[in-house]
Amino acid sequence: MKKTLTVNLGGTVFHIDEDAYHLLDKYLSNLKIHFRKEEGADEIVKDMELRISELFTEKVNAGFQVISIDYVEEVINRMGKPEELSDDEVKEEDKTGQQGQGSYTGSKETAQAHRRFYRNSDDKILGGVASGLAAYMGWDPTLVRLLIFVLAFFGVGVVIPIYIVCWIVVPEAYTAAEKLAMRGEKVTVENIGKTVTEGFEKVSNGVNDYVNSGKPRTTLQKLGDAFVQVVGVCLKIVLVLLAIVLCPVLFVLLIVLFALIVAAIGVVFGGGAAFIHWFPLMDWGMASLSPGSGILVCITGIALVGIPLAGAVYSIFCHLLDWKPMSRNVKLMLIILWVISLIASAILFPTITLPYWIHHGSIDVVGC
Amino acid sequence: MHIFVLSNRKSMNVDNVKSQMRKGMLEYCILLLVRKEPSYASDIIQKLKEAKLIVVEGTLYPLLTRLKNDDLLEYEWVESTQGPPRKYYKLTPKGEVFLGELELSWKELNETVNHIATN
Repeated sequence: MKKTLTVNLGGTVFHIDEDAYHLLDKYLSNLKIHFRKEEGADEIVKDMELRISELFTEKVNAGFQVISIDYVEEVINRMGKPEELSDDEVKEEDKTGQQGQGSYTGSKETAQAHRRFYRNSDDKILGGVASGLAAYMGWDPTLVRLLIFVLAFFGVGVVIPIYIVCWIVVPEAYTAAEKLAMRGEKVTVENIGKTVTEGFEKVSNGVNDYVNSGKPRTTLQKLGDAFVQVVGVCLKIVLVLLAIVLCPVLFVLLIVLFALIVAAIGVVFGGGAAFIHWFPLMDWGMASLSPGSGILVCITGIALVGIPLAGAVYSIFCHLLDWKPMSRNVKLMLIILWVISLIASAILFPTITLPYWIHHGSIDVVGC
Repeated sequence: MHIFVLSNRKSMNVDNVKSQMRKGMLEYCILLLVRKEPSYASDIIQKLKEAKLIVVEGTLYPLLTRLKNDDLLEYEWVESTQGPPRKYYKLTPKGEVFLGELELSWKELNETVNHIATN
């Protein structure tokens, strides 16, 4: 069973399958894009619509009540795809050149276009980093994913933070132009049109990758795909669980951040003495240090807790309120700042708190 | 030197040259067909397809519109029994003159080619 739509094409009413309608709609808008520079573009497309309507009428008269996607494809082949309709010499030469020595011209063009690393929004298990990288390098996404997984599994733990940093920093390919740049194809209006049609075909066929969409998958590749799918689902579950667990942690971090800010203000204005005044019952053993390093600890602490927190809150707001995502430079800067504060606090914290622990005897200072 | 450059061109193949030749004749043939009798796009397509002058039908529509915008063709809407009204194209006086010139140059070309081929 299929859903059908009723369309008015060139003044005649047709029943048309939903998928067939989408294909025809894309075709007509691609034609409009193709002829946009031509004088009387609307007229050309309208005339072609009339012709298509005539071909449909023939079909209906032959006893077919509903226009199917097969027939729309047949009509498109008969009318010609936009790239077949160009009649200026240069393009014609291009075309025959490509037919003659196919992959050569193709690869040359690919090399010329500016490739960029985007996250692939159409094919993602977690963040689309792997498939974006695959599109960038021209590899199989499944292969890249397996590689990352194997590396992470067998102890090369660096892969995980790298993945997360890429997820945060690398932008997602939203627009057709970005998707083309991701695959290293030239951003022309025709190519954009093709992407739109391909995107539709992709959805209707359930094929989930661009690079190998032409070739059938081997058993080994299918096995890899299945494995990646399973691992992906597991990872997603883990992430969701992690998010649930992290909610209270986030709350605690918020409190810590607040405390740190208060502490920083206190240190700046009161030089540490204010605390003793405010909280006389607390043990201020650890505050018996120079206000300078106290400020430093506060600052690194605020950065350490505040940056991820602010980032998380910002990204939540981005999704909820359609805020503009942070620019890549800002993200990079924040990540570098965070790493610096991590290192700084790793150095500072023990040296500052050491006297405190010694004072309370929790650490036996051997040989000191 | 010139021959060298020509033979060095990548896209110099039979199909390409043939399509270039056909393309040059396409407008001439459309005008000839329209002069014979006012006709609508699908008639023209039918005849051009029989003559193997076009491969995909969509090629014709931009050409017709261009010829019309250059005042070589004009059209009128004619009611049809089998559907919506159709555009019937016919030559304008300017188109007649234009076609006359094309015919002349076609004859010349034909003679030249024959002359070269036979001698």
